[in-house]
Amino acid sequence: MEQLLIKLGQYMFVIFGLLAVGGAGVLIFSKSAVHSVIGFLFSMICVAGCFLSLQAEFLGVAQLLVYAGGIVVLFLFVVMLVELTKYQEKGIFQTQTKFAIPLVGLGLLAFAGVFRTALFGASTNEALTLQPGLVGATENLGNAQAVSRGLFANFILPFEILSVILLVALVGAIVLAKSERV
Amino acid sequence: MTPTLTQYLVISLLQIVVVMGFVMTLVPLLTFAERKVIGYVQVRLGATRVAGGLWGAQRGRTHQSRTFTGGLNGFMWWLGRWPVISIFRGLPMFIADALKLLTKEDIVPIEADKAVFVLSPALAMVAAFTVFAAIGFAPGALFYFPAKFPYLGGLPFYGFLTDLNVGLLFILGVASVGVYGIVLGAWASNSKYPLLGGLRSAAQIVSYEVPLTLSLLVPVVLTGSLNFNEMSTRMATDIPVNGLVGIGRTLLMFVGFFVYTTCGFAETNRTPFDLAEAENELVAGFHTEYSGMKFSFFFLSEYASMITVSALASAFFLGGHYLLPFGLQPTWNHFFQNSPSAFLAWTCTPSILWFLLKIFFLLFVFLWVRATVPRYRYDQLMDVGWKFLIPYTLVMFVIAALLRYAA
Repeated sequence: MEQLLIKLGQYMFVIFGLLAVGGAGVLIFSKSAVHSVIGFLFSMICVAGCFLSLQAEFLGVAQLLVYAGGIVVLFLFVVMLVELTKYQEKGIFQTQTKFAIPLVGLGLLAFAGVFRTALFGASTNEALTLQPGLVGATENLGNAQAVSRGLFANFILPFEILSVILLVALVGAIVLAKSERV
Repeated sequence: MTPTLTQYLVISLLQIVVVMGFVMTLVPLLTFAERKVIGYVQVRLGATRVAGGLWGAQRGRTHQSRTFTGGLNGFMWWLGRWPVISIFRGLPMFIADALKLLTKEDIVPIEADKAVFVLSPALAMVAAFTVFAAIGFAPGALFYFPAKFPYLGGLPFYGFLTDLNVGLLFILGVASVGVYGIVLGAWASNSKYPLLGGLRSAAQIVSYEVPLTLSLLVPVVLTGSLNFNEMSTRMATDIPVNGLVGIGRTLLMFVGFFVYTTCGFAETNRTPFDLAEAENELVAGFHTEYSGMKFSFFFLSEYASMITVSALASAFFLGGHYLLPFGLQPTWNHFFQNSPSAFLAWTCTPSILWFLLKIFFLLFVFLWVRATVPRYRYDQLMDVGWKFLIPYTLVMFVIAALLRYAA
């Protein structure tokens, strides 16, 4: 029975993967923006299916909750509300270039330092944390527990840096959106 | 005794049939209950008879009792001589409602985006019904098949479909896909009022999803689990009988119940938060252009999500399959567990009956609120969501973490 289920899981992964690629194709090639968003949604749900077929149920459900349930709704909202043709070139970036380039260079160096250890280090399981006392094995834990231990104990530094990247994206979005009303 | 794969699949299929049958009968009964409850709240009788014949309205001067529905009405009226049964005089109404929805003409507007127009009611329906895969109606085996039962003898029939490790997240994730049914259906209708309703609904559901999820984080933090059955059992029983931590948990569950139910009302688009279909402003909101079976899919999904919200609220805040809500069960058990009275001892044990009763009571609350509370204005809706509920739930979350730390 176990063998059969594992076999089935492998086929499901391939099927969901192909469906996700199909959804991504709709996202790129369809003429209507709302159809693109539907393709995106389909693709995201199929990626969640891929995670589930790999028995990573926490990741699969989180994918469903965050992407399908949250982010794509906002995409749809924006696509339905905003006329995309209205936007033109605005010269809001030119004044900040000379400060921005050194900052970006500095950030890149810091990120590279951390991710070099994460990706090309002695072992990809090597923990990246300031408190080595918290580090523990993740093999024999449940799905959600393993993810949380990985995020908040073993790999806290890359995790925090990723959150900084997201913050930068957030600030950038606010700068773009508020440029006229300030 | 472990089942083989085929036995396992057969039992799962039976379970799915039972759960879907339960939901599919509860939904039309709920529409009947809605007519009656709102009727009595507004000092009317509500539905008491079925109008028209089975094949269209009655024509000519046919005597009432000669037609099928006339005879049915007469029979129900005769049954209603007894006090409680008289409430159910209009019960055939729910079958008539279902037949009406099934046989109505299915109109698709010419200017509509046909594919999306057909897709969106299905999306709403699938999302609302898939959720029941992770809801545990009873934590263990509901019953065992008797030994002589062909093929399945001696095997357990569980009170849940799946025992997912991340059941709660699954419910939230699948339920959040349901909003696409409303938004895409509104957009595909290619009409002004549905679009306004759909945009309102998208903003409302995205806003209220935050406090809803945060208020459900309280039981997650208190129990340290995401498994539906484990969470509901531990929320009901795993509480110190006395001491500050126990009192704090009870208070937190009491407040959390109201916060969660409020967000649940908004998530299911029910009054006082039904701005997506505010009929005095938007005709019928997002489903203005829908008719026939496609409309009834939206209708069914709304009522199914009401059942989901009731099930979650009663499982995590009202003590689930135990008698007493808000974590008072351990105190009750402390006094009555070894009571000589068999009935009192029985109230200390879990039973699916309590869970179903709590669900029915919460469904009644849905109808009760609809009959009494007026609709919010849109800016008030957003104020309630962002300025009150989200801060409240964040404070609750911190208190829950402190209680967990103290315990």
